[in-house]
Amino acid sequence: MTLAIVLIVVAAVALIFILRFAYSQAMRVSPRAGLAPQIQPIDVEAFRNLIDPAEREYLRRRLCASEFRVVQRKRLQAMASYVHIASQNASVLASIGQAALHASDPQTVEAARQLTDNAVLLRRNATVALVRIYLAMVWPDANTAAAPILAGYMQLNVSAMLLGRLQNPVAPLRISGT
Amino acid sequence: MLQAHSLLWHYLWVGPNIYLLVLAALLWRRGIKKTHPALLLFCVVASVSQLVLYAADILPWVSNEAFWHVLWTEFSIESIIKFILIGEVFVHIFSPYSSIASLGKTFIRVIGVLFAMGGAVAAAITPGPNQHFLVSGPHLLEQTIYLIECGLIFSILGFAAYFRLNSDRMSLGICLGLGISACVHLGTWAFSAHNIPKETSVLLDFLNMTAYNIAVLIWFYYCLVPSKVPVRSAAVALPENGLEVWNRELERLIHQ
Repeated sequence: MTLAIVLIVVAAVALIFILRFAYSQAMRVSPRAGLAPQIQPIDVEAFRNLIDPAEREYLRRRLCASEFRVVQRKRLQAMASYVHIASQNASVLASIGQAALHASDPQTVEAARQLTDNAVLLRRNATVALVRIYLAMVWPDANTAAAPILAGYMQLNVSAMLLGRLQNPVAPLRISGT
Repeated sequence: MLQAHSLLWHYLWVGPNIYLLVLAALLWRRGIKKTHPALLLFCVVASVSQLVLYAADILPWVSNEAFWHVLWTEFSIESIIKFILIGEVFVHIFSPYSSIASLGKTFIRVIGVLFAMGGAVAAAITPGPNQHFLVSGPHLLEQTIYLIECGLIFSILGFAAYFRLNSDRMSLGICLGLGISACVHLGTWAFSAHNIPKETSVLLDFLNMTAYNIAVLIWFYYCLVPSKVPVRSAAVALPENGLEVWNRELERLIHQ
């Protein structure tokens, strides 16, 4: 009977999720006004420093092994925070991009398609990078894979700007702090 | 009224399959066969095979053994086509996004294998309601298939939700219908795998048939009723006016 209860619970949870997903898709409104303010600017320079292998090597040389691990863990925590925000921004931008796919201007549609694809790619990379960052926290000496995130984020910025320009030249979309 | 071979019982078994055949005809006329061939195949095969099973149930000259053989065959064919249909839905949802299409494929294969293994384990430890494998086998097979189906639909929608992907209307409708039907069937089969009174078993049959009716109506709605056309606009108010500075800084970063 235990198995039956487990399967019934699994079925109920799956059913609730499926209905909720369908409801959210049906109720999805144009996110023009609602989503853009959710984007949090990221200090790209600080992030770049954090993932710089030279910085890491410098710290490794200057600090003893135990100190290095403590410092590296803190750096990894900061890195994870950045990647997490980048991932959330990508998620918001994916929604904005998909809403803009219905624009009448073909250039805007193309920019929206590119933005969506880049945002989805960034979210994927961010997820993978977060896993690796958390693993690296266990072994701080291991290399992390956050560098592709920066490259992806830069490309996403360009796509977002292009879409922002095409949609409204006087009201751009800002996703990175300077 | 809630008894086997009552008027409602006949309607709940035959009705959705007639609707599915009508849906198949309408989809064919709309040229859906090019974009959703598996859906069309499913509508035709599932409805015809269910009607054959219905006939096997009510015709007096069909023996019990022959009925169970028909049930085995019907369910096996329907299951294969359902999985083909789920594959088609997956392609429709993820293929527009090249960046995650291959990851999604790998993900869904792994999920499929995991749920197949889970289903096999569940089937192995489920006490059969009947000593004869010809009778208890389909119960276990259905429980396993519905578990995999639930898992696949859940995973596809979960993956799409995580990446905030908008699924197309038909794919969403297919997932919703299949998902509701699979979840209800999984719950009832898991329950009826244990020795339950005949009356309860009949009530569960009614629940399953009602769920399938709802699923068919959902497919009708999502496949035939057009979605609201979004307002097409070129200008969208986006926040904050710092584009020039931001662009300059980013270009400097990119070219470092």
